[in-house]
Amino acid sequence: MKNQESMTMESSKNQKGAGSGEGKLARCLLIGISVLFLLIMLVFPLVEVIYRSLKEGLKMYGDALTAPNTLSALGVTLIAAVIALAVNTFFGLCAAWLITKFDFRGRQLLSTLIDIPFSISPVIAGLAFIMTFGRMGWAKPLIDGVNDLFGTDISLVFSVPGVVLATIFVTFPFVSRELIPVMQAQGSAEEEAAAMMGAKGLTIFRRVTFPHIKWALLYGMILCAARALGEFGAVYAVSKARGKTFTLPLEIDALYMAGSADSITQAFAVSSLLVIMAIIILILKQIVEYRGKREQ
Amino acid sequence: MYVEMKHINKNFGDYEAAKDINFGVEQGRMVALLGPSGSGKTTILRMIAGLERQDSGDVVIEGKVVNDIAARDRGIGFVFQNYALFRYMTVYENVAFGLRVQKEEKQKIHSRVTELINLVGLEGMEKRYPDQLSGGQRQRVAFARALAPNPQLLLLDEPFAAIDAKVRKELRGWLKEMIAKVGITSIFVTHDQDEAVEVADDIIIINEGRLEQMGSPMEIYKKPKTSFVAQFIGTSAVLDDFSGFKGFEDLPKGKQAIVRPEFVEAFKSDNEKFKSLMHATETGVIKDIAFRGSYQELTLEVNGILLSTNRSLERRPVRVGEQMCVLVYRVYILDETDAEIHKNQLLKGVDIEAL
Amino acid sequence: MKTKNRLKKGIALGMSMVLLMGAVTGCGSDKGKDKEESDTVTITNVSYDPTRELYEQYNKIFKDYYKEKTGKMIEITQSHGGSGSQARSVVEGNEADVVTLALAHDITLIEEAGMIEKGWLSEFEGNSSPYTSTITFLVRKGNEKGIKDWDDLVKDGVEIITPDPKSSGGACWNFLAAWYYADKKFGGDEAKIKEFMAKLYKNVLVMDSGARGATTTFVENGEGDVLIAWENEALLSVKEHPDDYEMVTPSISIKAEPSVAIVDENADKNGTQEAAKEYLNYLYSDDAQKLAGQNFYRPSNQKILETFSDTFDLSVDMCTIDDFGGWDQAYKDYFQDDAIFDEIYNQ
Repeated sequence: MKNQESMTMESSKNQKGAGSGEGKLARCLLIGISVLFLLIMLVFPLVEVIYRSLKEGLKMYGDALTAPNTLSALGVTLIAAVIALAVNTFFGLCAAWLITKFDFRGRQLLSTLIDIPFSISPVIAGLAFIMTFGRMGWAKPLIDGVNDLFGTDISLVFSVPGVVLATIFVTFPFVSRELIPVMQAQGSAEEEAAAMMGAKGLTIFRRVTFPHIKWALLYGMILCAARALGEFGAVYAVSKARGKTFTLPLEIDALYMAGSADSITQAFAVSSLLVIMAIIILILKQIVEYRGKREQ
Repeated sequence: MYVEMKHINKNFGDYEAAKDINFGVEQGRMVALLGPSGSGKTTILRMIAGLERQDSGDVVIEGKVVNDIAARDRGIGFVFQNYALFRYMTVYENVAFGLRVQKEEKQKIHSRVTELINLVGLEGMEKRYPDQLSGGQRQRVAFARALAPNPQLLLLDEPFAAIDAKVRKELRGWLKEMIAKVGITSIFVTHDQDEAVEVADDIIIINEGRLEQMGSPMEIYKKPKTSFVAQFIGTSAVLDDFSGFKGFEDLPKGKQAIVRPEFVEAFKSDNEKFKSLMHATETGVIKDIAFRGSYQELTLEVNGILLSTNRSLERRPVRVGEQMCVLVYRVYILDETDAEIHKNQLLKGVDIEAL
Repeated sequence: MKTKNRLKKGIALGMSMVLLMGAVTGCGSDKGKDKEESDTVTITNVSYDPTRELYEQYNKIFKDYYKEKTGKMIEITQSHGGSGSQARSVVEGNEADVVTLALAHDITLIEEAGMIEKGWLSEFEGNSSPYTSTITFLVRKGNEKGIKDWDDLVKDGVEIITPDPKSSGGACWNFLAAWYYADKKFGGDEAKIKEFMAKLYKNVLVMDSGARGATTTFVENGEGDVLIAWENEALLSVKEHPDDYEMVTPSISIKAEPSVAIVDENADKNGTQEAAKEYLNYLYSDDAQKLAGQNFYRPSNQKILETFSDTFDLSVDMCTIDDFGGWDQAYKDYFQDDAIFDEIYNQ
């Protein structure tokens, strides 16, 4: 009798699961390892950046942030990020719409093509741009033709448009990748119902589709923005002019390469700008996720 | 004819969803498209709505060929199988949607929506969201929503498929009443015969993309035109040769016979009512008794063949293995395309209905 | 409904604000790029890796000079990187009005692409080299590994930092200086020279794409025992961190001649031929030559060079590129694909 009792007691203890004994130890260990990993790989380096940037005093920090090269780089970064965001949101929506609502011959191909920027190294993307749109590129005559037609002097490499294009390319998939699963799960019944009641495409999108995809869209946009701000490889290949076409990451690299103790501190100061932007984006992302979950 | 389908054909790759479909629905009538799963009935409905486009043939509404008119412009109300209510809108907004799209005035919208919500019995639910409603309530919202923009034609795709049995029965009655009240021409798709029989004025039976028969429920039931229809309605036994049975010796050989439960009567040998007909009976043994809620379905082995019959619960209890006297009134005889009634010759002169 | 509208408006507002900010800050420092009649001329100087500080200072004094001489404002956009990479980027569309690269051969590359008129080498004095340099070693203070000459670099356990000749001009000069030493040591025995070079490159820990990158690796990142560097890089590092580094001059080195040229195709298109010529010419002025010396580049002006005798060791035994038959020959022999460098490095 006693054996039976103690056996059932033990089994119920185990059944209580994660709250007791071995389960608890494993859980603590996993959490501990994750926290340690994050601290070492993420938190400490970031704190170090902020510390080093402020070490020489606030005046130096302020000077570094207001230097003409820094302001120019900030401008280019913001322009590239905002344009990339706008373009990729629009085309991401279109692509997701096409892929999930219609059945056509090249559908799978289109879906795969969209993912290409994810699979290539950004540096290769940048080099490919140069080979296509550069002075020796095969598209150069086309660009010259357009320039002649409009009397403009636009170049697509080693210029701000080139930086913008490179940024658009590497951040393209983010929006559509977030949207496609949501739109696929949604199905088309609601849209058909709206159509039956006389609604046209845009109305259907606005009133039926959009509320479904709102949070996924925002999330994709945030990821796109974050990536655009931090892009280095592709932009590095197509941007060589400091104070003109450099983005913040490139400017930081230039400051670091300048080698003097002062410029290193400046490098950290400008880095702290990016860190701050990253934190803002993280907070936004949390808010979006939270609001999204709440609405479900 | 208010709605007509003329020589409609539709293929999805190899799958033939509709083969030369021709029918017409008069104004104000309620018609059921009945058939097994995959028979193409939903495709036909969607072609009327404009959600699918036929490969050939014409869809005619109110005398006008609407082939090239988009679904949104056909002025048709559609109730989807899973209601497809707008998840992010309230009941009120759902019902008001069609009117808002038509850019009606706010006052008009309000009065019409209120009218419909009252019609379907959902007063007080206006501010609720679809996920706060039961299946039956959602169906009623879908119905109200479809009716709000005053369509001339109402199409319903298996409207009760997603509802539990008890509620289904109530809703069926409610739907029939509503549609009669509103007086709108309606076509609905179902695979449930009881539903079709109960709700519709006319039934169109579809099988493998072909129209088997169109007629009133009684016609379909009593005078099936094809073997499929004869087999489809009710639980029938299909036999290759029934001429071995008493009273059916004159049946043409080589043709299939269909025996419906209603054509079969099983009674105990000491039954008073049927005493005069004993000469026409065969002997059968009860193999299975199934309880069907309000009656029993008996499966009897007669002359080596299994026949079903329904037995009222008011009668004396029976058990498996018991010997019964089995009387078969009539059978359907099948051709490739036609079905004929053949009466039990031994019952000539007897008025079965009067018994 | 209300939250959705507010959210949409918020996003739209936010994005337009950011875009506006970007445009303002970005365009703020983008004055005078238009070719319309404004008072500001803009030229782009594509240079090699270590010259960042030199041109930062030179551009300041040149701006003043140009304003005084012509009354116009001039803006100079700088680009820095490994000399070879920079040359290639010009060919691919990097719009340089002038190039100030590490060796004549990189400029020849641009000439061969049709962007520079022939005879550029003699357009400016001293074979278009306003300043020269040489190759030395930078070691950590105390010189624990006792590195005095090229021989010490091939000892076991010595970790070398030197850049990649495929992209860096300085790396090519490094290679040739080492080769010259080995040549003298082994009396021209090519097999032994190659063995020596192979041992040297085996000791290389990190190969950056540019001379400045190599310096950063050695100084900031603390890698390696010795940096084979431009003399100007080594002197700059010692100046910045006198307690941490010292420079060692090897017994034999090479006279490294970085060259400058106008990129005619771009200068003609941008209408900046005049300004570009002034820009490069002024490098030879006394003020500019003094500036070069202060930045540890050996002025080509002999008289001014003598005034820097404390800074530079003027008695180093230096060979020149002519000892290798000129750059075209040297490049073909050593740095082309599958030439001697590839042979040695891939052993």
